[in-house]
Order: sequence, then C-alpha cells, then structure tokens
Amino acid sequence: MIDLEPLKDLLCSLSRISRWNFEVMDAGGGLFSSGPGGKSITSELQRLSTQIMSEAAIQKASLDGSYTLVGVPLKEDQEIIGSLIAHHSYPGGESRHKSSYPEKIPNPEEMESLLVSLTDLLKDYGAVRKECENLTEQLSQMYEDVYLYASLSPRIKTLRFSSATLKDLTEDVLEIMRAGLAFTSFPQHPEYNFLVSQNVITDKISDLKAFIDSLMNVICEQTPSNGGYIIVNDSQMSSPYGALHSDPYRLLVVKIQHENIFYGWLGLLSFNMKEIFRRSELGLLRSIAEQVAVVMTNAELYRDLEKFAINVVMSLVHAIEAKDTYTRGHSEQVNRYSLMIAEQLGVDESEKNRLHWAALLHDIGKIGIPEEILNKPGRLNNEEYSIIMTHSEKGYKILKPLEELSQLLPGVLYHHERFGGGGYPAGLKGDEIPLISRIIAVADTFDAINSNRSYRQGKPADEAMAIVEEVAGSQLDPRIVEAFKKVYQENIGLFSKDKL
Amino acid sequence: MAKGKKILIIDDEAPIRRVIDLKLKSKGYEVIMATNGEEGLDLIKSEEPDVVISDINMPRLDGQTLCKMVNPLKKARSFLTIIMTSRISPDERIWVSEMDDTVFMEKPFSPAKLLACIDHYLGIQR
Repeated sequence: MIDLEPLKDLLCSLSRISRWNFEVMDAGGGLFSSGPGGKSITSELQRLSTQIMSEAAIQKASLDGSYTLVGVPLKEDQEIIGSLIAHHSYPGGESRHKSSYPEKIPNPEEMESLLVSLTDLLKDYGAVRKECENLTEQLSQMYEDVYLYASLSPRIKTLRFSSATLKDLTEDVLEIMRAGLAFTSFPQHPEYNFLVSQNVITDKISDLKAFIDSLMNVICEQTPSNGGYIIVNDSQMSSPYGALHSDPYRLLVVKIQHENIFYGWLGLLSFNMKEIFRRSELGLLRSIAEQVAVVMTNAELYRDLEKFAINVVMSLVHAIEAKDTYTRGHSEQVNRYSLMIAEQLGVDESEKNRLHWAALLHDIGKIGIPEEILNKPGRLNNEEYSIIMTHSEKGYKILKPLEELSQLLPGVLYHHERFGGGGYPAGLKGDEIPLISRIIAVADTFDAINSNRSYRQGKPADEAMAIVEEVAGSQLDPRIVEAFKKVYQENIGLFSKDKL
Repeated sequence: MAKGKKILIIDDEAPIRRVIDLKLKSKGYEVIMATNGEEGLDLIKSEEPDVVISDINMPRLDGQTLCKMVNPLKKARSFLTIIMTSRISPDERIWVSEMDDTVFMEKPFSPAKLLACIDHYLGIQR
C-alpha cells in the first residue's frame, strides 16, 4: 500500500513553486493529484504509469510538443507498487533547449532527479515506518509479558503452595500467552496435573488427557538431549511430535525445576500456525516455571518445619506421660473429645487448630510437679493439692517462649477455670473463660472420671457422662456439655474403655 | 464496527501512547492523543471521543481533576473513561466509584485486555 499522507502537502507545495503537476498512480488508477490539470491527459498518464510499472524504470513522454511528462516507479521492498509522475504544459517545452527554460521553472532533467530523490526518501520513510511498527508490536508484546509477570507473581509467591493457585496460574498463562492449551504435568504429584484449553483444542483432540500422556512420554524420552525446555514450532518437521496428531501444531514445554530438584513440566500447545513461539515467550515461561519450583521447594521446607514442630510438641506430651503413669493417653484422649465437641459446635478451622494443640498440651505443666504428688496413692492433702493447682500456670510458662504457640496459651492457662466462677488460676467465669479452655475442661473432666487414677478406679463412661452433666453450669459450660452429650450418644462405641 | 469510533489516549509516557495507539488502530479504531490533562480536556470537548484512556499522574492537569471536570459532560453524551494507574489506592477506588462510566486498569497493563475492555463497552464482537 502506498502511504500518501507524508507526500500530499509536499507535492502540493512543490507544484505551486515549480508549476509542474504531480500524480501518484497504482495499477488501479490515480491515487493523488496535486492539481486539476491532470484530467485532460488522463489516458496518457495511465499509459505512462503502466509503462513505468512494467519496465520498473524512469519514463518520459511528451504530448503535442507542449506537454511534458516524467515519471518514476514507486517501490516497497523490491516490489513496484505504483508510479510518481510529474507533468507540465509549456508551449514548445520539449523542443526548446533546457537553457531557454525560464528561470524558476525546473526543466525535465531537473524534475527527473527531483523525482528520484523523492522516491528514495519515500522508500526510506516506508522502511522506517515499518521498522517502527514492528518495534511497537514488540513493545506491545513486552507489555503483555510484564503484565503477565506482574499479575502472576503475587499469586505464586504465596508460601502455602496449593493446587488451586497452580490451576489459576495455568489459566492465566493460557490466556496471556495466546495458546490453545496450557498444561502442567507432575510425574510424582498427579494431583497437580492441570489441563486448560480453548474450544479449538477440544475440537481437534477428543481425549486430551490421553494426548498429553503420550506427549509427555515423547518429551521424557527426549529429555537428556534438551536443556530443560522443548520448543517445536512445527510438529510435522519434528518426527516424534508429528506422529501424535495429523494436524501441525506448535509446542513450548519447560521444566519446573529448582536447584536440580525436578518437579514437573509446564507446557503450551497451539494449532494456530500463523504464529510461532518466540525466545521471549520461552524466557517468560521458564521464569514462571522457576518461580513455581521455588514456591514448591519452600512449601516442602515449610511442611518439614511443621512436621518438626509437631514432633517437638508430641515429645513434650510424651514427657508428661512418662512422669505421670496414670495419665498415659490422657492428652490424646482430651484432644480427640475436644475436636469432636468443636465439630459439633461448628467452630471455625483456625480455632479448631488452636484447640487441637492446646488440648494436647493442656497438662504440660505437670512436668514441673513432683512425681510423688502426681503418682500418690490416696487422697492429696491441701498442700499437695495447691501444688497440683500450679500446673496450668506452669504449663503457660513452659510454652510462653514458643512464639508460634502464643495463640493457644490461654487454652492451657485457663483449662481449670470453672464456668460458675471459683476455678484457678484467675477465677474467671462464664464467657470470660476462652472457648477452647471451656471445651478442654469438659473433655478433661470426662476423661479424668472415666480413667483410673493412683487413688481410685475409673468410672464407666455412662456414669462419667452423668457426673459431667451434674456439674454443667457450676463447673462446666452447659452449652458445651450439651454438645458433648450429643457427640457421646452418637459415638457411644468410641467412649467405652477396654480397661474398665 | 470499530470504524468511526474515536479513542482518546491521555498519557505523558510516549511508549504507552504508542503501544495503545498501534493496538487500537490495528483493530480499526480512530485514535487521538494528548500528552497531558489540559490537552486531553480540550480534545474531549472538541473531538467527542467514545472512549478516554487517561493516566493519573500527569503534568499540568492530573487524571483525577480531569475526570471530575468532564464527568458532568457525560450527562449529555456518555463515554467510557479508563483510568490507568500503577497501584490502586483505597482513596482512588472511592473517587472513581463516584464517576459515571469510569473503570480502572492497573499498570503494568495488558494491551489485549485494554482492547477487550473497549470492545466490550462499545458492544463490538470480534
């Protein structure tokens, strides 16, 4: 296409100064005329333009001895796309020697060199313009890349890696990287395998999962010979890939890998053969995969730490039980009952989590109570009893330095408060006592009555339940006792102890 | 059709103007541009664009003041305003919600998403 915009004003001005008229023509006819003068010689212009275009060379002509025409071809790349013709009427112009031309009016030779310079300029202008468009297109693509990265990075930075974030990520990658299909493949973790596709793909591949499986087989066979990625811009030129589908497709697959720990693959596939996967897209996909791998590594470290913390807590629990032989299994039993009550009450997940740890650790303070008192056969005297009573505060002090457990401290500290008031250590009552402490108190009371102690035999579950009900309101929160009774009745088998 | 629909870009950053210009022109829109809010205001009045894409931080007249000044014009002739900003603050959310036909787009932005937003507003299907 000939871009006339930069030419129009210039040609009109030139026309006024030189008294020549200018025409721009292509195979279809006139595109631009600097003045009305061309009309009368339309057929001659047309003939000259055709000649210029077919011979790809400068052409001159004259009409009736008074009309002069000079024309040059217009090129874009190597192709002739039109002609630029200058013409003027000067009586006897052709026949007169150029020196006899009036001053200020260019003669045909001068006009010819002007036209050549003009077309050179025009050619440069076209090339620059094209280059500029290409650069802008690339810039636009870079904006897409930056946008993709900016919108994805907060999503993949979340510490806890979940399959949901990976699925969202796969969807975003598909949308922004303009492919037909995006997928993840984790040989060790099939729960992280996702396929996100557009209709174009499902029309072409009926069983997507099977297709990806065979694709992954091919990729895994090829792995040793590639550097962590595969880029195939025409499957039909690449034998193992071409065999997978009769239509040509493009493929970009990168490893999800961090510090030599391999997790899986992230891939894009498209049947749109008008485009290709470029290096910039490869780079972007690789850094996304790298980020995913980093997050997965972090998630694993996090899980290891969490496991370690759980083990530490469990060894604390075992430490109490090693001292107090009669309460073996008590902490876990209280934990179990507490969680059942919480479930019945509809307590939210984070509160349940706090309850779980507080229930396991509620008696941790007994580590600081002398064994003779803990295991004393027979009733405790007042002094001994007051020592026992310090265990909830001692537990609180033991756990306090562990910042991670700060949320469950009240659960441990107040598990011997009484609903009606008068408990220890603070003498709180009613709703002043934290919910998790009130729940633990119910579970603790039941299990204590139900289990053997150094000074007495445990009572059967039904009897223990009846005693718990009796103290509802005075010692225990009646609402929680009610919930516990429901749980008890529904799961009667769980509450009967073999030792009774 | 996108032909005949006029989009005004107001941004002091040339690369951003250029990218949006190319994207929209390639899809048939007519594009006009201003490099600050003052020029933008004049063009909104004289050219009556169908969509105005405006940056917030600009010399002379900022995007927020511009929006507030042109909002009354929307009573007579509705047009979409797309505010582009690097991070949306809660305060910005409030004043934008008080404007007619005004939406946010966060920078860095996706040219493809911007086009989709404009197409959607003008009811153009591709």
